[in-house]
Amino acid sequence: MADEMVLSPDIEFIKGVRAAGGDTVKRCYQCATCGVVCPISPEDKPFPRKEMIMAQLGMKDALLASPDIWYCHNCNDCSKYCPRGARPGDVLGALRQMFIKEYSVPKFMGSIVTNPALTIVALAIPLIIFLVVLGITGHLHIPEGRIVYSHFFPILYVEAIFIPLVGLAGIAYIVSLRRYWNTLKRVNGTEYRMNFGDAFVETILEFLGHGKFTKCEANRDRRTAHLLVFYGFVALFIVTCWLTFYDYVMGKESPIPLSDPMKWLANMGALSLLLGILLVIANRTKAKGINTKSSGFDWTFAIIILLLAITGILTEVIRLAGIRTLAYPMYLVHLMFVFYTIVYFPYSKLAHMGYRALAITHYKMTGKDIK
Amino acid sequence: MAIAPERTALVVGGGISGLTVAVETAEAGTKVVLVEKNPYLGGRVAQLYRYFPKLCPPYCGLEINFRRIRQNPAITYYTMAEVQDISGSAGDYRVTVRQRPRYVNEKCTACGECEKICPVERPNDFNFGMDTTKAIYLPHEMAFPMRYVIDDTVCKGRECAKCVEVCKYGAIDLDMKEKTFEVQAGSVVFATGWNPYDATKIDNLGFGRVKNVITNMMMERLAAPNGPTKGRILRPSDGKEVQSVAFVQCAGSRDENHLDFCSAICCLASMKQATYLREKNPESKATIFYIDLRAPGKYEAFMQKVQADENITFIKGKVAKIEEDPETGDVLVTAEEVASGKKITERFEMVVLATGMEPTTRMVKLPGNLQYEQNGFLRAVQSEGVFASGVATRPLDVNSSVQDSTAKAIKVIQTLLGGK
Repeated sequence: MADEMVLSPDIEFIKGVRAAGGDTVKRCYQCATCGVVCPISPEDKPFPRKEMIMAQLGMKDALLASPDIWYCHNCNDCSKYCPRGARPGDVLGALRQMFIKEYSVPKFMGSIVTNPALTIVALAIPLIIFLVVLGITGHLHIPEGRIVYSHFFPILYVEAIFIPLVGLAGIAYIVSLRRYWNTLKRVNGTEYRMNFGDAFVETILEFLGHGKFTKCEANRDRRTAHLLVFYGFVALFIVTCWLTFYDYVMGKESPIPLSDPMKWLANMGALSLLLGILLVIANRTKAKGINTKSSGFDWTFAIIILLLAITGILTEVIRLAGIRTLAYPMYLVHLMFVFYTIVYFPYSKLAHMGYRALAITHYKMTGKDIK
Repeated sequence: MAIAPERTALVVGGGISGLTVAVETAEAGTKVVLVEKNPYLGGRVAQLYRYFPKLCPPYCGLEINFRRIRQNPAITYYTMAEVQDISGSAGDYRVTVRQRPRYVNEKCTACGECEKICPVERPNDFNFGMDTTKAIYLPHEMAFPMRYVIDDTVCKGRECAKCVEVCKYGAIDLDMKEKTFEVQAGSVVFATGWNPYDATKIDNLGFGRVKNVITNMMMERLAAPNGPTKGRILRPSDGKEVQSVAFVQCAGSRDENHLDFCSAICCLASMKQATYLREKNPESKATIFYIDLRAPGKYEAFMQKVQADENITFIKGKVAKIEEDPETGDVLVTAEEVASGKKITERFEMVVLATGMEPTTRMVKLPGNLQYEQNGFLRAVQSEGVFASGVATRPLDVNSSVQDSTAKAIKVIQTLLGGK
C-alpha cells in the first residue's frame, strides 16, 4: 500500500514536550478549530492541528523541519477557541524551546540555557569569569575618585571577554540556523516562487513594523510590548557599536556625556526595553480569558531581560548620584545580565529571531505567506 | 377508593420522560401529580418534525400518552406550574407548587376568536422566534391541553380586554391570579429535561449575527407542517427555498468553553435533517461538517442510508469560522478539511448549527437537596423515593429517554406500592 507509513514514536520527545509547557498536548482530539481561528495559518496545510497530532505521536523529525512552529506568533487565538483545553499555542511554544536546544551548538550550552533550573549556573559563569579576571589583574576593589566604570573594569578586559565569546556564539548560531534551514528545505522545499534574498529582505522589513502581530486577535496587546523590547534592543545595539567607535576612533573615554544625542538614544533604548518587558510580564499575568500558561523558559527570559534593563538603568543613575560603593557592584551585576543576553542568545528565547526569520522567509519563497 | 398521599408520585416535567413516568406509575395503581412549566405538555418532543431513524412523526407517540392521561383519573396535571420548595422526608414529601395564571379557563374551545381580535403580537417561543403569535395564543396547533393562554408580559390587560368581549364561552378571566399549593407525595421524580444550548454564546459561529445561521431545533420547526413556514425549508433572510445547507456538528458541544460533553443525538439529528432537506427540496445538497460521527448500534444503518445519498457530503473538520456574504445573504463556512489538510471556505444558502442539550439544571438549580454532576445533570438522587429521569440525568435520544423513564417508573412503583 502506497500510503502506508511506519511511525516510530519518540517517547522521550513526547515527555519532553509535556515537561516544556506542552503538558496538555494529549488532550487534542483533532477537531481542527485551531487552524481556522488562527489569523496567520495558511490555506494549504494549516497549523497547528497537524503539529498537535505529530507531537502526540512523537514525530520529532517531522517537527524539527517544520516552518509552521516558528511562523506561529503565539497570538493564542487557537488556545482561546480550543474546545479541549489542549493549549496548542503553548504546545508550539514548548516545541520552539525544545528545538532551540536541539539545534544548539554546542549542545551542552543549549541544555544549560533552556533549562530554567540551571539559570543560576548560566549566570554564575560570567560572574566567576569577571571576578577571576578582576582578581588576577588586581582590580577587585572600588576605585577612588569620579565614577568611571573603566577604572574598575577596563574596557579592554570587557572587550577581551565579550568579543571572542559573542563571536563564537554568532558562529554557533549561524551553524544552528543553517542546520534548521537545510532540514526545512529538505523536507518542505518544493518549488520556490521567490528567491531567498528577496524573501529575506521582505521578512526583515516586515519585522520593522511587526505586521503579523497586528493580525492577532486574542492577544493583540503583545504587539506593543514586543515592539518596545525589539526597538529597545536595536537602540542599545547601535549605541554599543558606537561606543567602540567612540573609544577607539574618536579616542574619548566613556561615559558619554548626557548632552550627547547618542546618550539620548541609549537612555531611550533602556526605557523602551524596560517598559516593553514590563508590558510583556503584565500581559503574561493578566487574565485575558485565554487558556495559557507561561513556561519556566518564558519566565526565565522575561525576568532576565527585566533585570538587564533595571540594572542598566541603576548603573547609570547610581553613577550620576555618585554612590561609589553601590555603582561598581551594580555595574558588575549588569555586565552579568549583558553576558547572559548577548553571549547566550543562540540558546535563550532570543534565538527565536533567526528561526522565525527563516520560517517566514521560507513561507514567502513558497508563496504561503499571508499578506 | 381514595389513594393516600404516601401513594402519590409527584412528577416534575411534562415532556416525554415525565409523561412516561406519570402514565406508567398511575396505570400500576398510584396517584400522580404532574407539574409542567410550559402551558402545554409534550416538552421538546412536541417541537420535533420527525424521529430518527424511522422518520415517523413524534406527535403520534405523544397523543397516545395524552390519551392515557385523559382516561386516567389518578393523574392530575398542572401546566404553567413549577416546584418552589421541597420539604419532608422519605414517604412524606411536601412539595410547594407555584402555578402562573393562564387567564383562560377550561371553557375554552380553541375557537380562535380571541386571537383574531387581539392587537398585541409577541415572538413565538415555540418556533424559536421565527414567527409571532398574538398576546392570547394557542401554544401550537396540536397543543395539549387544547386551550389558549395569555402572555401577561405583553397583554395590555383590562384596558384592552377585547378578547373577553368576543369570547362566547366566558373562557377568559383577566383577573386570574397566581396560585401556590402544596402536594404531599411519597415519591418525587425530576424529569426536567433540557434546553437547546444558547448558540449566541459561540461567537465564531455567527448565530444571531449571520441571518441564515439557524440551530437544529429551529430546523425542526422549519420542517414541521405546523411551523412558521408550514413545513417549507425557507431561509430566514429572504424566504428563499434553500438549496444548500451546511450542518455544523458539535456547535458548542464537547467544548470546555461551552458544553463539555457530547449530546449523543446531534449527529443523527443532522443526518435526519439532511433527509428533510433532500425530501422537501429535491435539487438541494447538504454538507455535514463533523469531528467524529456518532451513530451507535442500530443507528449505523441509518447513517449508511444517509451516506448513500450522493447529494449529502460528509467532511471531517470542525467549522470554526462563519461569515455572511452581505450581497446575497449566503453563508461562508470555513473549516480545515482534515483528510486533505487544506483550509476550505464554502458557500451555503443556510447553515444549521447542531447545538447540544443543556440540562435545565445546569444554570438554575432545583429546590431541595439534590446532587448534580459537573455538567449540571442530576445525579442519582440520594433521598429515598426521589428520582431523576430522562435527559435530566444525561443526554439521551427519545427512545432511550423513554426506556430510562420506564425503569424509573418501576422504582417509583416499588417505593409507593412495595414489592422491593
